[in-house]
Amino acid sequence: MSRALVALALLAAALLPLALESEGYAIHVLTLALLFAALGQAWNIVGGLANQMSLGHAAFFGIGAYAATILQIRFGLSPWLGLVVALALGGLAAALISLPTMRLRGHYFALATLACGEVMRVIANTAAPLTGGPAGISVPFGAEGVWMMRFEGGRPIYWLMLGALVVVTVVFEVIRRGALGYRLRAVRENIAAAEAIGVDTARVKLQAAVISGALTAALGVLYAQFNFFFDPDTVFGVASISVRIALMAIIGGIGTAAGPILGALIVIPLEEFANAALSDRAAGLSQLVYGAVLIAMVLVEPRGLMALRFSWTFRPRRASA
Amino acid sequence: MSAPILSVSGLSKRFGGLQALHDISFDVARTEILGVIGPNGAGKTTLFNNLAGLHRPDAGTIMLDGVSLVGLKPHRIAGLGLTKTFQNVALFAESSVLDNVLIGGLLRHGVAEARAFALHCLEQVGLAGIAQKQAGELSFPERARVEVARALATQPKILLLDEVMAALNHAEMEALMALIRRLREGGLTVIVIEHHMKAMLALCDRIIAISFGRKLAEGSPAEIARHPEVVAAYLGRAHAV
Ligand SMILES: Nc1ncnc2c1ncn2[C@@H]1O[C@H](COP(=O)(O)OP(=O)(O)O)[C@@H](O)[C@H]1O
Ligand SMILES: [Mg+2]
Repeated sequence: MSRALVALALLAAALLPLALESEGYAIHVLTLALLFAALGQAWNIVGGLANQMSLGHAAFFGIGAYAATILQIRFGLSPWLGLVVALALGGLAAALISLPTMRLRGHYFALATLACGEVMRVIANTAAPLTGGPAGISVPFGAEGVWMMRFEGGRPIYWLMLGALVVVTVVFEVIRRGALGYRLRAVRENIAAAEAIGVDTARVKLQAAVISGALTAALGVLYAQFNFFFDPDTVFGVASISVRIALMAIIGGIGTAAGPILGALIVIPLEEFANAALSDRAAGLSQLVYGAVLIAMVLVEPRGLMALRFSWTFRPRRASA
Repeated sequence: MSAPILSVSGLSKRFGGLQALHDISFDVARTEILGVIGPNGAGKTTLFNNLAGLHRPDAGTIMLDGVSLVGLKPHRIAGLGLTKTFQNVALFAESSVLDNVLIGGLLRHGVAEARAFALHCLEQVGLAGIAQKQAGELSFPERARVEVARALATQPKILLLDEVMAALNHAEMEALMALIRRLREGGLTVIVIEHHMKAMLALCDRIIAISFGRKLAEGSPAEIARHPEVVAAYLGRAHAV
């Protein structure tokens, strides 16, 4: 994609909220989509570049959300400093999870990471004195101001999420084009050959995991500031976070910068639409429809919508019969 | 003779009930071209895998320029200057030919330098013209040459080539042999596994023959060609001299 096109899309994304009602539903959904695009992009570093299908990214997300919020409640710490703490804790947690799991392949890796997220959920539910337990935790109300990330209306947090998406996407692209990106591809495509030509495969996987985990935790902080309230089952949830993050990239196109963005812009509004349209008919119906659409997407093009776009561009005459 | 660049002593490796390598010892002199021959299943590839750290030997020592390699991870061994190619060809199939070789170059260079050096390595094996092709789409002989270029990109002191000429035609084989000789003139040490006896006798300074994991014979090409056990175990069947 050309630079001009990217700049234009970014400008449009930045100006869009001015055309929307500041407290409205549309801006809320779009902000959520930006958050999940950024999460999918952070996941893409391990899931896409190294092809390690983590289903445990909720662990980092929840750690960031809880750490920053608890520090804000207890010590009045600014969420901006909470971001720094979350980056450090997310990176550390990713290192601790990565060291024992990095040798696992395919669904073994997915299941092991899934278990890590579940362990965090159980801990957060149990450690009620610290986390508030199953009842959840609220971001304290305070005076409006940039320092405490408390804004009027929905626009500033939208712009904050957009900024976060830009940062995470830049990090992803820098990694992908740099030495680490090449080494991760080598790990993904043939680990024995990678080692034999001098790639420290363990170190490369660890680096990717730490960067991905740190960014995911930081996004957890922004989620807390966006939603004001959360509980263990939400931020450490398998379906609500871990699988959903992975789906953004898988639906959109794994290993590409555009993939998670495309995925989130389609999936998040679709979810919201399904919820709104079907939730009053029968409990769970919206989930069912949502699940069916996802399965259909994956069946049509397992490499994601990005690949679908390419096949349309490059094989336009196939469907002429 | 000055100190050997590689010194292997008492190397043994067992896979379950199979003694794949048994008490193998040999030295390789600096800038030597050493050949390794033996029937299929003799343990030649296993020998390379042990030298490169992909397998850990059960017993024995491997010294590269005075540094023990046993127990080191493959990437460390590559960093110390020993790189092997894969007989079954283990390219990064979804990446371009250039990127395959570039990743080898990353061992000692940044991305931009590694790319320039990768192109140089591809020129050496005569594949600069297909640098942008996807590695998975290449013919087997092309892939084997990419293996060579990728190994060269790591700038090894000693290069281990595992049947890279197996599928090459006569001209390609001649070109590769000329390249190996040129690289040796430039200071590289090479160990070659190959079945093509005529090529081996012409290329190598010295040859070791192994059979059922044991070293059967070691000597100059002329000595190996008339060694009774080698002739019986190996040359007898696939006599290509
Ligand atoms: N990773 C392994 N696990 C079990 N057996 C192996 C392994 N690698 C090689 N072998 C066995 O060791 C013997 C030697 O194999 P190999 O070194 O590939 O022979 P060559 O390269 O001389 O044809 C063969 O019997 C082979 O089946
Ligand atoms: Mg072999």
